Amino acid sequence: MSRLGLARTAGAAVALGAGIAAVFLAPRWVSDLRLSHMGVYFIAILGLNIVTGYTGQISLGHGAFMAVGGYTTAILVADHGVRDLWTIPIAGLVGGLAGFLVGIPALRLSGPYLALVTFGLAVAMPDILKWDKLEGLTHGSKGIQLFLQPGLTGKGFEHVHVFGHALTFTRWVHYLTWAIALVLLIVAWLLLRGALGRAFRAVRDSEVAAASSGVNLAAYKTLAFAISAAYAGIAGSLLVIGGFYADPPTFPAKLSLTLLVGVVVAGLGSLWAVVAGAAFIEFLPDLALHVSKAQGVPDAVYGAALVAIVLVLPTGLAGGLRRTLTPLTTRLYTRR
Amino acid sequence: MGRRLLLVALVVLALGIPGAFGGGASDPGITPTSIHIGGTTPLTGPAQAFSTVAKGAFAYFRYVNARGGVNKRKINYEYLDDQYTPSETVRQTRILVQDKHVFAIFNALGTEQNQATEAYLNQAQVPQLFVASGATTWGRDYRRNPWTIGYQPTYIAEGAMYGNYLRRTQPKAKIAILYQNDDYGKDLITGLKRGLGPKAGNIVARESYEPTDADVQSQIARLRPSKAAVLMLFSTPKFTIQAYQYVNGLGWKPKIFVNAVSSASNIMLISSSRGHNKRVEGSISIVFLKDPNDPKWARDPGVALYRKIMRTYARGENPKDVYNLYGMSVAFTFIDALKHAGKNPTRQSLMNAAIRLNERNNPFLLPRMVIKTTPTERFPIDQARLERWHNGRWISFGGLLRARS
Repeated sequence: MSRLGLARTAGAAVALGAGIAAVFLAPRWVSDLRLSHMGVYFIAILGLNIVTGYTGQISLGHGAFMAVGGYTTAILVADHGVRDLWTIPIAGLVGGLAGFLVGIPALRLSGPYLALVTFGLAVAMPDILKWDKLEGLTHGSKGIQLFLQPGLTGKGFEHVHVFGHALTFTRWVHYLTWAIALVLLIVAWLLLRGALGRAFRAVRDSEVAAASSGVNLAAYKTLAFAISAAYAGIAGSLLVIGGFYADPPTFPAKLSLTLLVGVVVAGLGSLWAVVAGAAFIEFLPDLALHVSKAQGVPDAVYGAALVAIVLVLPTGLAGGLRRTLTPLTTRLYTRR
Repeated sequence: MGRRLLLVALVVLALGIPGAFGGGASDPGITPTSIHIGGTTPLTGPAQAFSTVAKGAFAYFRYVNARGGVNKRKINYEYLDDQYTPSETVRQTRILVQDKHVFAIFNALGTEQNQATEAYLNQAQVPQLFVASGATTWGRDYRRNPWTIGYQPTYIAEGAMYGNYLRRTQPKAKIAILYQNDDYGKDLITGLKRGLGPKAGNIVARESYEPTDADVQSQIARLRPSKAAVLMLFSTPKFTIQAYQYVNGLGWKPKIFVNAVSSASNIMLISSSRGHNKRVEGSISIVFLKDPNDPKWARDPGVALYRKIMRTYARGENPKDVYNLYGMSVAFTFIDALKHAGKNPTRQSLMNAAIRLNERNNPFLLPRMVIKTTPTERFPIDQARLERWHNGRWISFGGLLRARS
């Protein structure tokens, strides 16, 4: 292994260790409910980054895939008594299937046209969930309450026992969310470092070049959409378990935009910075409210902060870090 | 024998003391100098106009705190943003209960929003006090939710007042309804039908909207061909303002009934485009608060107090916004309950006080109104008057009516 590769692997290991330590330490200062919500964003952004950052297909509809996953869990737990944990992989599969289906138009469309199709899905989703014909399944605008359901671990209020430790329900959800997030981060890394990742990036950088090098555009685009939507489905499932509630406004069109904001702030095509993107979209609205609670001001502050960030870090946090650190580190490696 | 007796006495004491002295101290959110309560309200998003319901209450608590609080305890009222989204209400409420350890949830806003948290709060035995919504369930379903109580007249009662009035004054008029598609809108229709009684068949058209909709233009356009002589606006402020504009734009001239949620005079002034929209003239609603914009109350001590508190403790907020006064009224009732919950209140004793109110001195309510609750009668405000919009202000007519579902 080259010196650079060794340094990178070591860096990754250190970052991973620090991340795990942070998961255990953070609840001392930050609410479990906030941390697990941030973990949900982390997983969704991770997935969105696969299709948008690595494959170059802009999706404005990932909130809709979260809804698919979230409702899969809600319906299975509340109406069929399935244990919540088992619904998480199922939500991933169902979400992935939805992504596969949406990926099919992605074969014909690209750029802003594809973005519009996915955005249409995001806008329609709350209404689809309220649709009379689906009311038997989705319970319409009333939504589905999971609290006190036997399928929900500890029914949402009892302590959960893990390896002899009694955890509150919210602490348990926090650990569960970040454990799954960690696994999905490693899966994403493994997927993207090899041939698959190269093919995705080739599609992003030039479809013509990719096709002429033998990359099956249709197959790879659809695959990227499916994997990415599976991530969103799992995120939605965890959101519903942790929040023990699913209703149409839980998954508004704005959610999809928020996720895209998270990816852009993190930096397209970077896995590590995703945690910063998730923290940004989780905590910025609170900070904006901190500035002023006067009507209209929090929304304006949020918007202004976003504009400022994109101006200062046009390639996201990852790009910014790379620009600052690369000159330093390259000098380190090349010095003799 | 003597030793055994001593032992028994010691055991009894050991068991008894914590019971006698320790019980109250164990409830979260209360110390000898403070009581921490919380609630949710839309500070951002489409329903943010309601945020002054929380801000007015907040200002009143600051006023009370400046005067020493209640039994030397300052009230620390923390309201969090739920964006009028039930799942977000659940999350913020759990943050208040689990992380901030509030003593009680107070004045949380919205029907579906509070329905989403009631199971959780009752399971956790946290008082869900004076819910800012007129759904009947808050007062009716106390066997299922003993820790929950509402505040304002129920929507069913309000609808019934309109129905009664129409049955007496316009028994032949055809009625069209715009309503929010949830228990709030549906309760108002239930009440209207109850009040109309045999005339319920007069309802010829109804259209619903979702709180997340952008506007109600198409709903009004679909109601228009009904040629109804009466239009019910069972909608929140944003949609009510739009409805008045669209009705006017279509050249439709029905008599309009506007539900209390949207009939604050500051909102009516917007609806009437400062008097340009003639469709607003003659509108009918109900009232239970003193309207700070009404010259009738210019010298009223309650409204004077309201203005003083707004000036001192809610700088930058709009004193013409009637929801601030609603917030002060409900905060007044909370203080009343707290005073009757004993020197060292527990969640249980506060709840007991909230269901045994007998409040005759609330300065923000209409004269002679009484807030009375019992363990089986849990509707704090169950009186109101009808009012008619004339020349830029509300004029109440008829006496105090019983507003019970």
